[in-house]
Amino acid sequence: MPPPPPHRPTSTSTPSGKGELAELKTQLRQLAGSRAPGVEDLKRELYKKVISYMTIGIDVSPLFSEMVMCSATSDVVLKKMCYLYVGNYARVHPDLALLTINFLQKDCQDEYPMIRGLALRSLCSLRVQNLVEYLVGPLRSGLKDTHGYVRTVAVLGVLKLYHIAPNACKDNDFPAMLKELIHRDGDSQLHFSFVSGGIQFFYLMNNEHMIYMIKDFSEWAQCLVLEMVAKYVPEDPNETFDIMNLLEDRLQHANSAVVLATIKVFLNLTMSMADVHQQVYERIKAPLMTLVSSGSPEQSYAVLCHLHLLVMRAPVLFSSDYKHFYCRYSDPSYIKKLKLEMLTAVANENNTYEIVTELSEYAANVDVAIARESIRAVGKIALQQYDVNAIVDRLLQFLEMEKDYVTAETLVLVKDLLRKYPQWSQDCIAVVGNVSSKHVQEPKAKAALLWMLGEYALEMPDAPYVLEGFVESWAEEESPEVRLELLTAVAKCFFRRAPETQKILGAALAAALSDAHQDVHDRGLLYYRLLQHGVETAERVINPPKQAVSVFADTQSSEIKDRIFDEFNTLAVVYQQPSYMFLDKEHRGAFEFSDDTSTNASVTESSETMLASQSVDANDNDLLLSASEKEDTRGNLVSNGSSSYVAPSNSLIDGLGSFTVPPAASSLPTASFAIDDLLGLSLSTNSPESTLAQPSLVLNAKPALNPGAFQQKWRQLPVASTEDYGLSSQAAANLTGPQPLLKHMQTHLIHCIASGGQAPNFKFFFFAQKSNASTGLGYFLVECIINVTARKCTVNYKTDESDLLESFAAVFKSAILNFGV
Amino acid sequence: MPPLLGIEFLCKVADVISEYLGGITEDLIKDNFVIVYQLLDEMMDNGFPLTTEINTLKDMIAPPNIVSRMLSVVTGGSSNMNTVLPIATTSNWPWRSTDVKYSNNEVYFDLVEEMDVIVNRDGFLIKYEVYGEIRVIARLSGVPELTMTFANPSIINDVSFHPCVQFRPWETHQQLTFVPPDGEFKLMSYRVKKLKNTPIYVKPQFSSTGGLCRVSILVGIRNDPGKQIDYTTLEFPLPSSVASWDLTANHGNISSSPGSKTLTWTIGKMPKDKSPCLSGTMHLEKGMDHLEEFPTLLVKFKIMGIAMSGLRIDRTDVRNVTYSPHKGFRAVSKAANYEIRT
Repeated sequence: MPPPPPHRPTSTSTPSGKGELAELKTQLRQLAGSRAPGVEDLKRELYKKVISYMTIGIDVSPLFSEMVMCSATSDVVLKKMCYLYVGNYARVHPDLALLTINFLQKDCQDEYPMIRGLALRSLCSLRVQNLVEYLVGPLRSGLKDTHGYVRTVAVLGVLKLYHIAPNACKDNDFPAMLKELIHRDGDSQLHFSFVSGGIQFFYLMNNEHMIYMIKDFSEWAQCLVLEMVAKYVPEDPNETFDIMNLLEDRLQHANSAVVLATIKVFLNLTMSMADVHQQVYERIKAPLMTLVSSGSPEQSYAVLCHLHLLVMRAPVLFSSDYKHFYCRYSDPSYIKKLKLEMLTAVANENNTYEIVTELSEYAANVDVAIARESIRAVGKIALQQYDVNAIVDRLLQFLEMEKDYVTAETLVLVKDLLRKYPQWSQDCIAVVGNVSSKHVQEPKAKAALLWMLGEYALEMPDAPYVLEGFVESWAEEESPEVRLELLTAVAKCFFRRAPETQKILGAALAAALSDAHQDVHDRGLLYYRLLQHGVETAERVINPPKQAVSVFADTQSSEIKDRIFDEFNTLAVVYQQPSYMFLDKEHRGAFEFSDDTSTNASVTESSETMLASQSVDANDNDLLLSASEKEDTRGNLVSNGSSSYVAPSNSLIDGLGSFTVPPAASSLPTASFAIDDLLGLSLSTNSPESTLAQPSLVLNAKPALNPGAFQQKWRQLPVASTEDYGLSSQAAANLTGPQPLLKHMQTHLIHCIASGGQAPNFKFFFFAQKSNASTGLGYFLVECIINVTARKCTVNYKTDESDLLESFAAVFKSAILNFGV
Repeated sequence: MPPLLGIEFLCKVADVISEYLGGITEDLIKDNFVIVYQLLDEMMDNGFPLTTEINTLKDMIAPPNIVSRMLSVVTGGSSNMNTVLPIATTSNWPWRSTDVKYSNNEVYFDLVEEMDVIVNRDGFLIKYEVYGEIRVIARLSGVPELTMTFANPSIINDVSFHPCVQFRPWETHQQLTFVPPDGEFKLMSYRVKKLKNTPIYVKPQFSSTGGLCRVSILVGIRNDPGKQIDYTTLEFPLPSSVASWDLTANHGNISSSPGSKTLTWTIGKMPKDKSPCLSGTMHLEKGMDHLEEFPTLLVKFKIMGIAMSGLRIDRTDVRNVTYSPHKGFRAVSKAANYEIRT
């Protein structure tokens, strides 16, 4: 509550000191015994003053006894203010707490039900652990009160009691009393609101039978019940259908929170029934679309995020609804961005033309950020291979628009397109050749243009001369990315059109060798030496024949997407991050409705880190081209050029190429490790722990387990064993992100299904399967929580193969202990 | 935490506070902080929404209206709470208290439809949907049960209802059956998609060469809705490259806000005998040869007395009461997001 402004009569200037407090004290004292008419109004003014002092942080606790004395009244407003006052000070001054309790307990027996209720509420809201014993009595009588309001408050009180002292709650038989109340209470008004309290309680107690009463509850309580139902696993399909029939009309509720909660129930219930699941998608489409288009921008953003998640999971089902994702001129840009992503996802053979036409209109948009996004979207659709011909035409039209940012984005796209569809080179190159290099300013676009100049030097007659211009302005070029690309392009051009390029290459190499940037310098030196070695060798390294790229690396792994889907209807969807990435551990779990402010703090904090990490991702993606080429050059150099060339992003895809091995690490022992593992032998055979391992355990090299199945198993199986291991300091140092450990475990045939966390805390879910096990059996599931600073790792094993657990644990242990060694 | 729960609750809080205080501003909240505190105390407990139904709240906490202030002055009483607690009443309808009394019983239905239209550069209609709401103002004594049927319920694509609407009758024979809350509320909202005929057409032309841009925008009635199209305005942001303009209209007037560079052409009532036309030239800034970005035209208008989706209320009945109330119906269609791309 904001403090009243100073000019209001309720709060004069801040009390200068003891003087004002003393004055208030005497005034209160005078009024305490008075019964004169109008005295309540005076009291109210005084109370307001006291409370406004309190809210701006002035200690008015000396007035405590006077305040309590004055509140012997039937005026509810006065009472309420008094409760606010005592509630505030009881927490800070334990000596006053007992006084407060006495005062409130007395009020709990007041003749007015409203006052009884308010007193009980304040009493329960004190939340002081050692005063629990005083709560039980009033609560018990509150639950049996003749008046509904008091009962409602009492039910909520039980919940609060449960939060601070679950045992006291159970010892006093409150759960049974509540249950009885819910089933017995005929007063539906009471029912309506009080149940929300009761439900929160049963929410914690996991009682699943609330669903049949759902229509009697208030909308908020319905949300809770639905949340609960979503966790329920029906015994057979019939039960699933019963529940869904019962809940179907909830989809037409005016409250969007109820609608979303219902959708979550539907999705979760039908998870294992593919065809019904699909029908559910069809059913929930209309309500979601309505929610998106009506309501405030905040609401439609939140709904759109959920829709986005669904579209990404099953684009096909939404492909006929693409018009809903058309951007309105007045949409805020965060909504437009989501819509663009969805348009990209739903594009297929039938609607590509319309969607691309629509996207092209956005490219002329006034909003530059959106124009860029929409061009990228067109490119993505083109890469999805529908009707590429027409799309390429569009892209080339973009180049003719002669706007710097449009040209820049388009060049990057054309480059990606050419990497995937080299057969389009003729058309593209004809147009790209016309692009004046002066219009291209952005580093990424320049790099793309240079790549094309190098790659298609033969098709572009003036390629060497354009490159020459670039080399001449080498010193002015600020971005090392562009300089690297320029060097490579000149070299490639040289292999194709040596006579024209020789001079330029010399200039470029000279410039590179004197470059201040280490990478540029090194690459220059490398090229120079290669060329010294022989032009042919150099060409084999720098410009080998390329395979077309088939799939570009996705930014967000499907594991993460599945995790987010499991957290449907939570903030995880809005942040597009699983909750463990933005929540502290202590806030997870059952108490998610606690009104703790620190949750907010951690949420904002982590959303920042989220943004940072996303932008890093984006950069990585853009650098994909140059980085991967570099990688391969190095790889080929090491193997002395004998191995056949692998296309850059292929190597990225099988996940090895991007994993930079520092030269020192590729020393002999590690190498032999890897080879052993490739042969499918378990590592334990040459590790000290091998004595423990039973020879019968051989792990399946390619076990199949999707996240959904994993989760189900994880839920079903009990924890078989829990162990703590200490990690070596090297391991801790290596664990800057989840990736390295993931890779490491994979070499031990232990696969990761989900991982997350920020340093210093990481959490992993691994699984492995016994080889020659029948499908769906012989799995070992591991939850592994690592704290890097403490160098500790806590491991929970679950398995349906308990007799092999010991040997598996040994394998796991040796694997994790070997990490970073 | 379900995000929509938070958003919905905050909207409710804002609704309730503005209902109580007649608005929601910093000053109003400061002036009435005791009431706001009381309200919040009842609306949220233990971090979870509790009582958010405005009618129930009003029974618990009296709004600070003139009547109660007068009353307190006259009687000398000071409490602004009702001494009789509403909770004790065994109402089966939490959104309604049982002892409502009016001397004039009346109920009004407002059909409000908003059009969402996108016309693309080539004049093709690429999206046309209608979002509609039925708003009801009920001032009825006792506990009346209302039923409402539509002449053509099948055109509705998706609906959502106020909690007071019973679902069974709707599912079986598309009939709305409800015991209304007292006062004003939103009975249902619906969506009708894939409509074909827009009431008006807009034909914009921007052609630019040599630093000059010719503009001509024609507006006219395409499918006469049978009612007056009123409050017609057309606005578009001026492209940043426009230095000055010289535009005239044969109907209505043109104004521009200097700060936002938006041009507004107010037509008002749509004439039936001629097509309003805006024409003239815009001068581009030096060095610009032709227009690089094309503005999007936003059209606004209102048609009273008709629902563009074609939805018609067939009949309404009030049962369970002895009197026969006055019933009123209105319909209005608005262009909410009516955009013409150029």
